[in-house]
Formats: sequence, structure tokens, C-alpha cells
Amino acid sequence: MVFSMSYHFLRDRSLAEELAQEVFLELYRNLAAIESPAHLVFWLRKVTSRRCIDQTRRRAFWPKFRLDEVPEPVAKIRTADPMLSRALARLVASLPEKARMVVILRYQEDLDPMEIAQVLDMPIGTVKSHLQRSLAMLRDKLARTVGEIAI
Amino acid sequence: MSNLEDNLKAALERTGPPPGFSGRVLARLNGQAPPKVAWWDLLSVLLRPPRIQWVALSVILSVMIPFAGVRYQRARRLRSEGEKAKQQLVFAVHMAGNKLHRVQQKVLEIGRMDTRL
Amino acid sequence: MKILCRLTFCIQIGAAMYGQALDLTHLERLAAKAKETADVNLDGAVLKLGAKFLSADDPDQVKIKKLVAGLKGIYVKTFTFENEGEYSDSDVGGIRKQLQSPGWSRIVGVHSKKDGDNAEVYLKTDGPGGGLAIICANPKELTIVNIVGKIDLDELSELGGSLGVPKIDLEKPKPAPKKDD
Repeated sequence: MVFSMSYHFLRDRSLAEELAQEVFLELYRNLAAIESPAHLVFWLRKVTSRRCIDQTRRRAFWPKFRLDEVPEPVAKIRTADPMLSRALARLVASLPEKARMVVILRYQEDLDPMEIAQVLDMPIGTVKSHLQRSLAMLRDKLARTVGEIAI
Repeated sequence: MSNLEDNLKAALERTGPPPGFSGRVLARLNGQAPPKVAWWDLLSVLLRPPRIQWVALSVILSVMIPFAGVRYQRARRLRSEGEKAKQQLVFAVHMAGNKLHRVQQKVLEIGRMDTRL
Repeated sequence: MKILCRLTFCIQIGAAMYGQALDLTHLERLAAKAKETADVNLDGAVLKLGAKFLSADDPDQVKIKKLVAGLKGIYVKTFTFENEGEYSDSDVGGIRKQLQSPGWSRIVGVHSKKDGDNAEVYLKTDGPGGGLAIICANPKELTIVNIVGKIDLDELSELGGSLGVPKIDLEKPKPAPKKDD
């Protein structure tokens, strides 16, 4: 979970591992604060989200792949496939940091907006707004990048 | 849930850390100085597992949970695909029955006309 | 009447053989001209998956499950056009040609001059496989149904009336009256 969140956010395996290791080191230093296994999962998500966002801001991180590097496909894509998944993952990585994390928590961790609001310490309205705008942006970018896709 | 959301779930499916990740984390933890513990925290040691085991447990869970999560997401995807397949099946049977009925209606119509003649 | 009897005779045989799916790929270009398109391709694992999700509590879905139990595939292509003349005879001709191969029998062919509706029903009654094909070619709509596998038309007709599928009244043939010598 921690590595996966970091990887989908940063799109860099070595950076993601480094960040994941830092999260567990922080956990070790703050073990006294952990009350239960459920709290542990919540804590890991919260700290991972915060560290990912901080990391991006510190390093002025740019995604490794730019949209104009994604080749135009020849045929219509009718169903989700590995190419589409990769394109989508890259587009998610190009979202603004907070919106990106909201999308990852929603679609990787399957959290509902209320739970996302708690993890990110953000108003639920803001979470919903991020989700709505991100989906619209992704839909638009995907259609322009990979041609007609039944979405 | 829309197609885009289904595709996002597939694209953002949990991915496991590189091999040896748990070992590297525990190796770093072993090199760390133990955190300073207040006297009242020592009491909690009686009630909770030792700290290093907590961290080991969370690292292991962090590796295992992705696989459980992947299985859960696969089950969800299978359910979604199954429902779609079912809807298509019901539609296809409906269409076949509907067309057969219309053919039969035409045949009966012709039969009635023949009788009148 | 003759046509009905022939249809009923085929029902009694109960086509219990398997066959290959028709090649309908040449029709895909019609999707661009159609205002509405439906395209169903269910075979193998996907067909079994769909059947698995049919509800055991719904009597109609229980019947569908029984009907499709022996099937290898169900394929439906339907195109609805804004104007007449958007598809050609050769589009349908390509399918009819496949249905002229050994094993296929045209059991019903209906043409209406009044509204231009054409409908044909084919059964695969010979060879290593079996199935059903229906071609409905109307001025503004073209529908092709291809079912591959054991198909019991009696069971299909029982579904009439449920799920919006109209009943099909198919008479069993009466025994021929004995002639007095």
C-alpha cells in the first residue's frame, strides 16, 4: 500500500521505495501513537500522502513522461488494456499534487470522499471538487491523447 | 461507476514493492537508535507487542495488503464484468426471441391470407 | 401452414449439434452510418460468466440460464439507420453465402412488399456443430442473430412474454389422419 501509493504518485520506483522506507522509519519513531491495526493503516495512508505531496513540492518534480511523448494509436480502443492503463497512470501523475493524491486514494485505496477528507485533513467539499475536476481533466486529456475511446 | 473510473481502478491497481523491500526497511530500523520512551509508555509495552514487531508487522502488512487488495479489486472487477456480460446475454436472448416472434407473426399473417383466398 | 409444420418439425428434432460462428466483421463499417448500434459477442468464458450472474431468484433468468447452458456463443449485431438505403444487398449477401454452406437449412423466409421487411431463419441441422441464424433486413434496420451450439427453440419460445420477449406459439404437428381403404 505505502509503496504503491508512492509509486502511483511519483511514477519513479526508486523514489517510491525511498519514500516508503522513510514512512516506515517515521512509523518506528512514532509507534507510541499507534492505537490499533485500523489506526495503523490510517496513519500509514496519512503520512504517505503528506510525504508524497511534500516531496513533489520540494523537488519541483516533473513526470517522466510527457503527454506529447505518448504515441497516437492507430485503432480505436474499445476496452481497458495495458496501453490504456499506462497512459492513464501517466496522466494521473500529471495532475496537481493534492488532486493526484485524492484520485489515488479513491481508485487505488477505494476510499470514499469522507475517508479521503480524513486522511488528507481536507474539507469533504474540496475532495469532491478535486475528484470531479480530475475526472473531467483525465477524460479530456485521454480523449486527446489516445484518440476515441469509449469512456 | 463509469468506464473511466473502472479504467482508473485498473491503472492504479496496487503494485508491490521491489523484492527485498521488507529486509531493507528492517535493516535501516536496526541501525536506528531506539526512540526515547517516556516512563508511562513503558507500561503500554505490557499491553502491546514489542515495537520492532509492530514495525515488522506493518511492513509485512504493507506487502501483504497489496496482494489482498489486488485480489479484492480483481473480485470487484470480475463482478462488474459478470454483470455486464449478464446484461448483454439477456439483451441477446431478448433480441433473438423478438425477431423469431416477428417472423412467426409474418408467417401466421400469410397463413391467414392464404386461408381467406 | 407448411412452413409452420417444417418449423415445428425442426423444433422436435431439437438442433443438438455445434457449429462455427458466422463471420460478421464486414458489417462493422455500418456502425459509422447507423444512428444506433448494438453489438453483442458472447462466447467461451464470457458467455459462461454472464450465465453465472443470472439470478436464481428470477424465474425468467432461470429459464435463460437453462437455455444457454449448451451454447458455445451468442452474437448479435443490430443497426438502426436514419434513412433507407444505408446498407446494401451485398452486406447481407455475404452472410447468406455463409449460410449456404453444408449443414445450414433455411427454414423460414418472409418478405413483405408492403413495408419492405425481410426475415430469414436458418438452422444448422447437419455436420459437427449446430446453431441458429436470423437475418432481419428492414429498410431502416438490419439485425443479425447468430447462436452457436445446442439450441432448443421450444425453450426460446417459452421465454416469450418475459423480459419483453414475446411468446412464440409453436404448434406440435398433429398425427396424420388414417385413411380408410
